[in-house]
Amino acid sequence: MQKEPITLTYDAIVIGGGIAGGEAALNLANNGYKVVLVESRLSVGGKMIMLSKVFPTLDCSACITTPKVSEISRHPNIKIFTESDITSIDKLGEQSFVVKMTQRPRYVVAEDCTACQLCEQACPVIVKDQFQYGLVGRKAVYIPFSIASPKVAAIDIDNCTLCGACEKVCPPGCIDFTMKPKEYIFNVKTAIVATGFRLYDPTNVPRYSYGTAKNVITSIQMERLLAPTRPFHTILRSSDGKVPDKIAYVLCAGSRDDSMGNPICSQICCMYSIKQAQLLLGALPMADITIYYIDIRAFGKGYDEFYEQAVSMGVRFVKGKIGKITEKENGNLTLRYEDVATGKLKEAEHDMVVLSVGVKPNKEAADLFKSHKLELDGLSFVKQSDPLLSPAKTSIDGVFVAGAATGPKDIPDSILSAGAASTEAISYLNQKSQ
Amino acid sequence: MSRINTKFGKELKRYGAVDFNKCYNCGTCTAVCSLSTGEDSFPRSMVRLSETGDKKGVESSLKPWLCYYCGDCSVNCPQTADPGELMMSLRRWLTAKYDWTGLSGLFHRSGLANIIAMILVAVGVIVYSFTQSFDQEGIMHFAHLFEMYAIATVFAVILLPNIIRMWYMTVVKPGYKVPFKAYYKSAGELFVHMFTQKRSLGCDDNQARWFAHFVLVIGYLTLLFTTVFLDWFSNESIFVNLLGYAVSAVVFIVTFVFVLGRIKQKHQVSKKSRPSDWFFVIWLFLMGVTAFFVKVFIDLEILENNFWLFLLHFTILVQWAVIIVPFGKWTHFLYRSFAMYFDKLRKSVPAESAKK
Ligand SMILES: Cc1cc2nc3c(=O)[nH]c(=O)nc-3n(C[C@H](O)[C@H](O)[C@H](O)COP(=O)(O)OP(=O)(O)OC[C@H]3O[C@@H](n4cnc5c(N)ncnc54)[C@H](O)[C@@H]3O)c2cc1C
Ligand code: SF4
Ligand code: SF4
Ligand code: SF4
Ligand code: SF4
Repeated sequence: MQKEPITLTYDAIVIGGGIAGGEAALNLANNGYKVVLVESRLSVGGKMIMLSKVFPTLDCSACITTPKVSEISRHPNIKIFTESDITSIDKLGEQSFVVKMTQRPRYVVAEDCTACQLCEQACPVIVKDQFQYGLVGRKAVYIPFSIASPKVAAIDIDNCTLCGACEKVCPPGCIDFTMKPKEYIFNVKTAIVATGFRLYDPTNVPRYSYGTAKNVITSIQMERLLAPTRPFHTILRSSDGKVPDKIAYVLCAGSRDDSMGNPICSQICCMYSIKQAQLLLGALPMADITIYYIDIRAFGKGYDEFYEQAVSMGVRFVKGKIGKITEKENGNLTLRYEDVATGKLKEAEHDMVVLSVGVKPNKEAADLFKSHKLELDGLSFVKQSDPLLSPAKTSIDGVFVAGAATGPKDIPDSILSAGAASTEAISYLNQKSQ
Repeated sequence: MSRINTKFGKELKRYGAVDFNKCYNCGTCTAVCSLSTGEDSFPRSMVRLSETGDKKGVESSLKPWLCYYCGDCSVNCPQTADPGELMMSLRRWLTAKYDWTGLSGLFHRSGLANIIAMILVAVGVIVYSFTQSFDQEGIMHFAHLFEMYAIATVFAVILLPNIIRMWYMTVVKPGYKVPFKAYYKSAGELFVHMFTQKRSLGCDDNQARWFAHFVLVIGYLTLLFTTVFLDWFSNESIFVNLLGYAVSAVVFIVTFVFVLGRIKQKHQVSKKSRPSDWFFVIWLFLMGVTAFFVKVFIDLEILENNFWLFLLHFTILVQWAVIIVPFGKWTHFLYRSFAMYFDKLRKSVPAESAKK
């Protein structure tokens, strides 16, 4: 164990390396401020780096995220820590915060790893790949995903058998099982919370059979199936390899639903489902795609046109929330719903069902702040103290919030809010220092 | 032409439904209801009619009677609009609508009215016994006769006209031209449902509840039969005696279990019990218990010194016969069976000729 924590000084800390945190860090850095960016996972990029294409422009998500991510990681004013947990943030006074952080060991010397993947080939352990949302497996030593940043291997020590196979094959010899957690202390003047959101866990709704029926997947799994860096290089049912030709979308799966424990609209799921439907028709032109909805909420610029485009491409829209999903012997699924337009109870068979899961808060953010309370709203998203006029302000002076940490947001809105948060942070730094 | 009638919603609230205006028409309730079918899809359609205040639509609908209040729809409603409770309230409202005397409505809406009526009946029984100088033999004889006449009168004067009104509202007025033949061809449906309530078996995990109901119905009818026609209290036959004991015990034990359920509010169904629901089970329970002990006292030959017990039993009996049976929840059981019958009749009419 290292004896003394390493103490470093920055102008700002950004917590969360998703698109919002990345954008905020970049804005600050481009204005000459020194920024430390802390990400709890192995790679920065958040949800966005995992997406296929993005509504409403259908730009390739990886192609616009990767340049941004590499700009952030090369920026002289930005220092990134991945695989790191903040343990406390204390405010001593205006423009004076003390942050304690622990970096978990990767068991790979990041500077030396060339991402040759020989260790992956040698490792005998196979577990579910969390970065592919369980669609495929990975090894106990692995590179998180092909466009990860940093693109460096890491050992999942909980699943590693310490057989040493990787160590033997690694050309630069950068695997080090003796690595220990590293403690840091940062003195900073301002903080931006960009911890993003969590996805609704559909196992909370047993009648949707997620987790028991093989061909019921979530929308984020479908993003992976559609992405350019996708695991199978085609769309198929991971259970039996069949190419689906009758796909259903269940909207509001875990949103706008008191009985499922989330009363609010998640704002993005109508749109990403419409996007996925269009991409699916591109990949599988003969497929039938049906979207079961309560209301289609397409409020942003160009969004309604995007919806109309899906309609004209032949995506079927049926008003009625799915009540029950049952698996048939051949793996197909029977969906029971009321066709609200005719008022009749109906059943439909599909060979793949996508649950358009909603957005839930990442409550952890509030626990990081010890001396002052970071207030949450009624649904446990970070509370905006002045949502109309200063949407980036929080209950603590000098702490700002960006992206989906305040509630469901799509990418354009996350970027905008990151702009607001970095601007607010800069004026906080300037105002008070004079 | 459709017009929103918000008054109807307010009226329904007096029958128990309070949250149905929260509905945003997602159809989840219909999709999770195990009794809903493509032909008869509910409860959302009924929520819709109630929201818009389409009284005529509700009045002619038989769907409220097809629901057995398992509560699945309410548990899964995204908006906590409680569609199951709405269905229950619609049954109460319809009962009031069918009843030409208007008393059903009053009793369903107001607990106080129930209590006043119950007290009046009790006072009546006491006054009557007083005029008879509490003569045991005379009163018991009268009580026996009363039971028979009360059953006949309640049926002829109240229940039969009400069923005819129900038939008019649900079959004649909406324009179903049912051929005469269908009336006797479907009659079997009526009796099967009346005795078995078999439809409720369709509800998921409802087998135990159905069985308890079935036992209760059979127990109640047998008790009625043993006391009224076999004159259990004065009958010497061992068989009749034992039968009487057995069925009265069944009635009070099963109702006791039901009351416990309501108190614990374990099922969604029992979460919002109304005064009329309580009266129904409690009186059934009391009838069973008092009948049982009256007979015990007779057999031990101690009734003479404890005549109050018989008066208590008699009071409960009269309350049951003149308040709960004609105007209370008992009628639901009758209307439900007839609803199946009328539903079958309506479906015997080819779709094209049934005018909407
Ligand atoms: C299936 C799906 C499809 C989508 N498609 C689109 C689309 O086509 N177009 C569009 O505009 N939007 C789309 N979105 C929405 C988009 O993903 C979000 O708008 C965006 O990811 C929000 O970015 P964020 O940075 O606020 O949050 P996130 O992406 O959630 O990033 C938060 C980051 O913070 C990190 N973090 C969390 N807690 C901590 C902590 N305590 N310490 C350190 N780090 C932490 C996380 O690991 C993560 O990297 C889609 C979303 C989903 C689920
Ligand atoms: S850890 Fe070694 S073997 Fe594994 S990818 Fe890095 S350099 Fe290659
Ligand atoms: S965005 Fe659409 S699918 Fe998502 S919660 Fe809102 S209405 Fe439902
Ligand atoms: S489930 Fe609730 S909100 Fe949905 S249609 Fe039924 S009553 Fe309305
Ligand atoms: S209470 Fe049960 S039977 Fe009645 S409508 Fe609701 S789900 Fe159907």
